Amino acid sequence: MLRRSHAVLLGVALLVGLTVSAAATAAAKPTVTIGTKNFTEQYVLGQLYKQALEAKGYRVHFKGSIGSSELIDTALTSGKINFYPEYTGVIVADLAKQKSPKTAAATYAAAKRFEESRGATLLRATPFYDSDSFGMLTSTAKKLGVKTIGDMKKVKSFTFAGFPECRTRVTCLLGLKQIYGLEQAMFVPLASISVYTLLDQGKTTSGDVFSTDPQLQGSKYTVLIDTKHIFGFQNVAPVVSKSLASAGGSAFAKTVDAVSAKLTLGAMRAMNKAVAIDKQSPASVAGAFLAANHLK
Amino acid sequence: MEPCVTVADAFTPHTFVDAFSFIHDNASFLFQKTGEHLELSFAALGIALLLALPLGLWLGHRHRGLFLAVSVSSLGRALPSVVLIAFGLTILGVGFWNNTAALVVLAVPPILTNAYFAIDGVDPDVVEAARGMGLSERQILLQIELPLGLPLMIAGIRIAAIFVIATATIAAIAGGGGLGEVIVNQASYGLAGVVGASLCVSALALLAALLLSLTLRALTRRPGPVP
Amino acid sequence: MSFLVGAGPVIPNFGKGSACERSNGWFCTDWLHAHWGDTLQPALVQHLWLSAVAVGIGFAIAFVLALVGFRRRPFDAGIGALADFLYTIPSLALFQLLVPFTGLTVTTVEIALVSYTLLVLYRNMVEGLRGVPADVLEAARGMGMTRAQTFRRVELPLALPAILAGLRIATVSTISVATVAAFVIPKGLGEPIFIALDQNLFKTEILAAGGLAVALALAADGLLVLGQRAATPWSRA
Repeated sequence: MLRRSHAVLLGVALLVGLTVSAAATAAAKPTVTIGTKNFTEQYVLGQLYKQALEAKGYRVHFKGSIGSSELIDTALTSGKINFYPEYTGVIVADLAKQKSPKTAAATYAAAKRFEESRGATLLRATPFYDSDSFGMLTSTAKKLGVKTIGDMKKVKSFTFAGFPECRTRVTCLLGLKQIYGLEQAMFVPLASISVYTLLDQGKTTSGDVFSTDPQLQGSKYTVLIDTKHIFGFQNVAPVVSKSLASAGGSAFAKTVDAVSAKLTLGAMRAMNKAVAIDKQSPASVAGAFLAANHLK
Repeated sequence: MEPCVTVADAFTPHTFVDAFSFIHDNASFLFQKTGEHLELSFAALGIALLLALPLGLWLGHRHRGLFLAVSVSSLGRALPSVVLIAFGLTILGVGFWNNTAALVVLAVPPILTNAYFAIDGVDPDVVEAARGMGLSERQILLQIELPLGLPLMIAGIRIAAIFVIATATIAAIAGGGGLGEVIVNQASYGLAGVVGASLCVSALALLAALLLSLTLRALTRRPGPVP
Repeated sequence: MSFLVGAGPVIPNFGKGSACERSNGWFCTDWLHAHWGDTLQPALVQHLWLSAVAVGIGFAIAFVLALVGFRRRPFDAGIGALADFLYTIPSLALFQLLVPFTGLTVTTVEIALVSYTLLVLYRNMVEGLRGVPADVLEAARGMGMTRAQTFRRVELPLALPAILAGLRIATVSTISVATVAAFVIPKGLGEPIFIALDQNLFKTEILAAGGLAVALALAADGLLVLGQRAATPWSRA
């Protein structure tokens, strides 16, 4: 889920520098400080929750572009933010360092258990999931005659591009090698630039793409079926601090859950496309979506 | 072969100890990355030398093109490597040559300006005397001006080498490999890996600088054909 | 509330970018018009500040170091080697080393940027001060000037061209390097570039932000040349 290299780069090291913001809790409705990571989908998600909460009279501070999962997690646990949208599989694999469960529900449960062990909790997960996927040009897939990741075994040698830490993750290259036995995969590490650029330029056979990428909407690219589920389940769930959850109560949870419930794969791809390809601002895209679904 | 995955932690003096043990434990991996790093750096430096050195020497010899030398250098310095790599991706595509091109732009300014000023600054009386002795322009440049301008010229190459080796790490954002690949991947290699790889980069750059200084010393000690 | 889950979302028309934007054309002027105010202009101002602060602090530090280094050779060798070493640390690595101490803040970026200015500024200052001819110093002493007076009235003015040359190089390089600040904080002209990289290499944004960075560097260089001419009317460079 780290798409830009500074997300990757700054990794976990941040411990100092995140100061605890004094949250005003005296008001009837708690103040929400939303953080997001630094790529398109997160900008959109942040705006969706922000505008929906504001429409219900919550005061919302917005801190965008916090970087990697580890970093934004530190921001949450140190109280700099009290709300951020996270991918359940990332919580389990990267933050809790546990093995990926076999189903989406089990992943959500494990993620929630982990967050609750440290002063936070999860609200309801979205129907959409954004997981790493094994992508290639449809023309390449036809030429090679592959449909599932396992089919790649018959390809003598191929390249697989992805963000740098993909190399050592079981939910990525390591899983392809160890679980699918694709030892011949040669890794092309990328930070900051998109895998699609390499695929389009014919510089890599395949790469690590994300299921909500707007590029996957057409038929230009094909995602190979992950029969062994190495990529895990990555539904989004808002991580909120326990103090915010209890101060907000069920009214707060209802507002947030209503937004999450509408975020299907199609909706998320359409919004990502509106921002990344059509150059609409995340704020206006989120606003239009909420208005159309009577959430604002 | 795959380095172990560590959770990166806060930087303490102990990180340096860890960094050295990272280098020790992953020697063959780092060796391979260093090889890629040097390949990229040498290609860029070589191309920059081929482009900038003859031009700088010739312009300096003719005492012309001060404006060209200075403005090419300013422009080269002003072009951020990130922008070059990003923009190069849209033209050259992903790969070795895109990163090389960005580094060439980085290396040209110091080589060009220093070569220009090295030759331009040679005492005109000496050059006149050589011309009076019947030396050809080519001989004057190669036998008189070049040896006298050598220190300044090599100083330029030295700066370019340090620049290129340190900046080649940025190539990692565009699949360039090299030691930058470790540096941008704290999640996999830990802070110790980042520091270890960065120490390798510094060592390479300082080694290159040292070699150039020694070359200069060896060259200037030799009794040159200075009249 | 289970019925909510069942009801699929309505996906409205979000509006489309211009044909140029959607096809990622070479330079979409409509994008430029739409995003000058919310993206480029703030980034330009932030970039200017990041660079100006770095060069200002770097200049002050280098000056103090040069005062020590130019009279005492052993210090000079030590400071020179340190500046050399700082210069060789890749910026991406330096940021990561600093983040645990200074966080994802402007401070982290400034420390890195300042440390890269030191080499050029320091070396040029020391070379400039050393380049003052011995007979000129002798003459100054003969006129009864104190050491402080000699420094202020003779050495410093004569070293000025070299110092200003160093300042030009440091300024232009810093403005260029400041684009990597976006690795740490979403500020400066590097930020739109990284966003464009993430969004299918959106060419207009890369060109516009990159072009602004180059223009800023060249404008600063031009201003310094004018300043150089005004400050040292006796030399032409």
